[in-house]
Amino acid sequence: MRLLAKDITFKYKDSDQSIFENFTLSINGPGFISIFGFSGCGKSTLAKILSRELFPRVGEVYFESIKKILLSYNTERLPGWYSVETHIRSVIEKEREGELKWLLKEFGLEDVIKKRFSKLSMGQKNRVNLLRYLLQDFDCLILDEVLANVDEPSRNHILSLIKKRYPEKLFIYISHNVEEVCIFSKEIVVFPRGIRLKTLKKMKGLDFNGERFPERELLKKKVIEAIGLASIMPQ
Amino acid sequence: MRIFQFLAIFFIAIFALMGLKYGLGLSDYLIPPFSEIWVLIFKKYYLFLYPSLNTLYVAFLGHLLAIFLAVTVAFFARTGSIFANLIKTAAYNLQSYPVVAVAPIVFIFLGDGLFSRLLIATLICYFPLLLSFLGIFSEPVRDVEHFFKQTNRLDSLTQVLIRCYENLDKIITVISGSGTLAMVGTIVAEFLAATNGIGYVIRKALYQNNLAAILSSLLFIGLCSSLYLSVVEFLGAGIKKRLSG
Repeated sequence: MRLLAKDITFKYKDSDQSIFENFTLSINGPGFISIFGFSGCGKSTLAKILSRELFPRVGEVYFESIKKILLSYNTERLPGWYSVETHIRSVIEKEREGELKWLLKEFGLEDVIKKRFSKLSMGQKNRVNLLRYLLQDFDCLILDEVLANVDEPSRNHILSLIKKRYPEKLFIYISHNVEEVCIFSKEIVVFPRGIRLKTLKKMKGLDFNGERFPERELLKKKVIEAIGLASIMPQ
Repeated sequence: MRIFQFLAIFFIAIFALMGLKYGLGLSDYLIPPFSEIWVLIFKKYYLFLYPSLNTLYVAFLGHLLAIFLAVTVAFFARTGSIFANLIKTAAYNLQSYPVVAVAPIVFIFLGDGLFSRLLIATLICYFPLLLSFLGIFSEPVRDVEHFFKQTNRLDSLTQVLIRCYENLDKIITVISGSGTLAMVGTIVAEFLAATNGIGYVIRKALYQNNLAAILSSLLFIGLCSSLYLSVVEFLGAGIKKRLSG
């Protein structure tokens, strides 16, 4: 399973400067890969390019053994005119009923499913949104800060769960939370500050699988390494 | 509430007029005495109430027809196709043309019956409705539509439902506002050439220089408009409450 963005040049219509210039990135799956970087560095733009929501002026995105790629982000909303349950049941296959029940329990959403989306807390909204994506057919799911409003213990629980439950899928997790990406990722793609990006630095993550939490010193080292890479100004 | 507000404003205006009349010593021929207006409003109310209800009925039909037409045209024109752009351009250009100026042609071809009044009422409130629905139906609600798009579930109906729901307040306001326009359109049509409705009563009163009858007509027009708008707003609030849970 591989995702290759090759020689990408991209700039927004209303901008003078390119975000990517002859940019190339290869991501190998399956597993949990993170994209980390400071705000405004182009992470979400890259996610949209990878999911073919945005098309670069030059370059192409290639997929190997990836038929269906989905992108989810944290401000997504469900239609407001019916309950969360009605919506979710209308967008999943019948055979996923068991998985739905299991996810509802694990995500702590059993009590809120009868409510309208607008009545949920921000964290619940994030979890409901992620849940409906997990119940779709996909080979690669890009998660653009999808758990931004979820408390840390729940977030850790959900990420461990996803890794265990869907080991055959590729997850590209975009986050500002450096500790989180260091702990859970197999590989971390680090966005440096700046514009006209050509390549991104990669580093190994600790790939925590819910069995043995990484040692504090090791985690600290990884965090420092990731922040160091993200702070570099490209020429 | 709307009806009480209207009544308060109407009677303040009448008392101001009376103040002017008695303050300046104007004749009964120019401004009729309050007793004359009182008699028309409370004793001969049927002379104004039934024509006003007739006008309201035509305005209501015209309004419904305009909403149906605007929604249908906007539904097909919401995409970026050549046909859609053609409809949009035509709508923007046509709406700048005053319908009242075209009204005599309608009467020449269709006579002074119900259909002419209905058509003019529809045309007057159709364009503001069309422009609003075009705007609402063409504006993506990315945060809601994204999932449906990603999973290939975004059909035309879902897309329009999402956009309508997200702009429900705007739609209710536009429909209420255009209700007034439908009343205006019908009265203008009746005033121009029809032989029915409160506009026709005003036209006759104008020829007789009968200010008391004109003022009584205004009262009943205001009452009917306020009642209609209140009902539309009440229905809109009810629909919104039901949909929002």
